[in-house]
Amino acid sequence: MSDNIEMSTDNWSASLDLNKTLVEYGDFVAATAIVKGANPHACTYRFTWMLEGGGEGGTSGEPNGEFQYGFAPPHEGKFLITCDITGPDGQTVTASRWMTCGDTDEFTRPPLPSPDAETVVSVDDVSMVFNIASEQFNSLKEYFIALMRHELKFKEFRALDHISFEVKRGEAFGLVGTNGSGKSTMLKIIAGVLDASSGSCRVAGTIAPLIELGAGFDMELTAKENIYLNGALLGYRKEFIDEHFQDIVEFAELQNFMEMPLKNYSSGMVARIAFAIATITEPDILIVDETLSVGDFLFQKKCERRIKELVSADNVTVLLVSHSIDLVERICDRVCWIEKGKQRMLGPTDEVCEAYKNLGK
Amino acid sequence: MDDKTATVETPEGEEGAKSKPREDAWYPPKQRDLAVIRQLVSKDFKLKYRRSALGVAWSVLNPLLMMIVMAAVFSSFMKFGSDSVVNFPLYLIIGNTTFTLLADSTNGGMGSILGAASLLKKVKINRWVFPVQKVLSALVNYAFSLIAVALVMLFFRIPLTPLALLLPVGLLLMTVFCIGLSFFLAAASVFFRDVMHLWGVILTAWTYATPIFYVIDILPGWMKTFENFNPLYLFITFFRDVLLFQRVPTLSLWIRLILFALVSLGIGYVVFHRHEHKFILFI
Repeated sequence: MSDNIEMSTDNWSASLDLNKTLVEYGDFVAATAIVKGANPHACTYRFTWMLEGGGEGGTSGEPNGEFQYGFAPPHEGKFLITCDITGPDGQTVTASRWMTCGDTDEFTRPPLPSPDAETVVSVDDVSMVFNIASEQFNSLKEYFIALMRHELKFKEFRALDHISFEVKRGEAFGLVGTNGSGKSTMLKIIAGVLDASSGSCRVAGTIAPLIELGAGFDMELTAKENIYLNGALLGYRKEFIDEHFQDIVEFAELQNFMEMPLKNYSSGMVARIAFAIATITEPDILIVDETLSVGDFLFQKKCERRIKELVSADNVTVLLVSHSIDLVERICDRVCWIEKGKQRMLGPTDEVCEAYKNLGK
Repeated sequence: MDDKTATVETPEGEEGAKSKPREDAWYPPKQRDLAVIRQLVSKDFKLKYRRSALGVAWSVLNPLLMMIVMAAVFSSFMKFGSDSVVNFPLYLIIGNTTFTLLADSTNGGMGSILGAASLLKKVKINRWVFPVQKVLSALVNYAFSLIAVALVMLFFRIPLTPLALLLPVGLLLMTVFCIGLSFFLAAASVFFRDVMHLWGVILTAWTYATPIFYVIDILPGWMKTFENFNPLYLFITFFRDVLLFQRVPTLSLWIRLILFALVSLGIGYVVFHRHEHKFILFI
């Protein structure tokens, strides 16, 4: 987003990277200055922080060769972190970035995408037809009896009827609709689990699905073994999981239970681990299907915060399916409303949600 | 929000800062399949003997005990075969372990897609991974039963010749054969669950129709012709040739084994691949 400001001189440029832009009170943020086109070790750095609207502020002291700065926000609020970088040529540039600490009320939905942004999900005239009758044969006998009686005629059920939309990189896109309207079918087609009967669905990049947390867990295995198994199923490298194992455990807050078989866990605890694995890194596309309904309220808040963090990240596209219009309104910038398999509306969140809310009236 | 600082947005700058952890996180598609197979095989292995006191030792003990029981039954009560074979216990255990490999891998492979249903409904994963993984799990188990075979050879002082180096080649062909069969059975059982019950019966018939605990000489002539085209017997013959009889498998045996492996894989994969997109509607 426009938060990350990069400044440049004629010869070199600098930008600032924060490992988190959304933190809780008590968290610690590492700011790293990144210099391009000049030797970073030959530069001097001076970091300053400032509360939004002025007033409070602080610095890292005299300019020195340290290009990293650890910052713990003194209280909640929005802070501007700035770094003055003096290059070997004596020129100084200033890079800055915003960071929000505390309650996520300050969260702003991502802006509407520019038309030339990269398309990551493109759904083109997708229809999904289920043959209701043909799905009932589970044995050869039934099948042949039906065949003899010429009862192999299928009843068609159109779960999706000519749906088309595009999602750009960095967007938070919502799918709304009443129960049984085809949202989840649409999501499964995007996730690549289901093939569309007609039309095409193209997806660019890695997908982290949060569809029913805990898919692929084996209840007999310990939590630790499950983290590795699930990580492999999501496509993570083993070394990557090794590296981030502690983060996953910490996020799930289950440090003392790692050697316990999963069957002894409550469903909420299982969901915590699943959520932690799926969101430990930034995927290209995060698919969220009403998973936040499990876990205690504190964890739900934590999950929502993490999803918002991913929404604010520049490269992550979030697809959210929910019939809780609330969450969609808070997070998404554009929404597609599917009703009884048909695409009713597609547009900015406020317009679509307004129309959707009027449905019941 | 930062109007006072006139700046240029450079996406590359952001990429540079962020791309490192992102790129490192995921396997490229092919390696990913391998990683999934490795994790699933190790899961099967861990679960198989969890909570048993002897654990993995059972993979060795089981074929040994089976051999002792069968050797006792067939050499003292039935009196067939045992005289005409150099070493009946080794003859038995090779036949038995080979059959177990076939039964384990096809039974596992057959239920693999149904067993992975909850996963296939949520995560995009190449479906062929599951039957292949089950066959490989059975192969790991077989590797342990080879220790039992080695113990028997040691006990009866049967020398290990360089011919044993052919064992992995035969094993590879057998694995390919089992993978093909598992593809077919996995696909068939998704649409018709009857296949699972039927296969148990077929396997039983197959054991009795194969000279595992008897010798081929006691069979009537037409059965001997049949055995020439019984892939299970051909594989067993191969393993007996290299371990027990210490002779090079004949060219005609090689050709038949290679044909069986390739045809099985070919048919199995085509059937599997043709129907795999419909699996999700039936599981």
